[in-house]
Amino acid sequence: MRDNKEDKSKVRVEVEDWGPLKISGNFILKDLQRDNESTPGEVLLCRCGKTLTQPYCDGSHKK
Amino acid sequence: MDKAKQFSGGRKYTNGEITVYWKPDACIHATYCFRELIEVFDPGKRPWVDMKGASTDRIIKVVNMCPTEALTWKWNDDERNLAVGADQTNHIKFRRPELIEKAELQGNESPVTVKIMADGPIVIKGSFELIYDGNKKEVVDSLVSICRCGVSDLQPFCDGQHRRIGFTG
Repeated sequence: MRDNKEDKSKVRVEVEDWGPLKISGNFILKDLQRDNESTPGEVLLCRCGKTLTQPYCDGSHKK
Repeated sequence: MDKAKQFSGGRKYTNGEITVYWKPDACIHATYCFRELIEVFDPGKRPWVDMKGASTDRIIKVVNMCPTEALTWKWNDDERNLAVGADQTNHIKFRRPELIEKAELQGNESPVTVKIMADGPIVIKGSFELIYDGNKKEVVDSLVSICRCGVSDLQPFCDGQHRRIGFTG
């Protein structure tokens, strides 16, 4: 953890190089495709379009 | 009265419904704007953009023809901007996402929402830290649209190509 003094509730959106989108903090995830809403705290979202577990990353980008 | 207000990176013009941004240093003089719509884009007049010269639809159409980020646009109603697809090539979210962060959005601390658009991008709205390509940016009361289909030429941002390739997910 780099900045441990940082406010944990602050939302951090990190685009991983050649990988998924990592979002952490207090946020509301609304999936309009599957019609659900959650507050997961942290997610890894697929950016390559190949995952079999949309909208989440399943590692398919490495294949 | 059309107002041409100065802002960092050029000028902006509005008709109440949309705002057109002009970034003079990005203009390559492709001349589509005034050849298509001299009623609005008249280089011989000051201000050179008259937002009353044509309908909103027509202005959007011609702004989308600009091959650079010299002319871009957005809806003044922020919610409408969320639904704008990549066929709207010169919407600020595709051409000048930095303007979204500067847009005059309300400053109330609403929670960050992450929307998975149907067969489309991830739209993140609110105030958050955005890290990409080794850069760290503070996004304040704004929104970004992240590509989910893997095909965008504006990675990591959506450029609307999910429609062209028929992305589902």
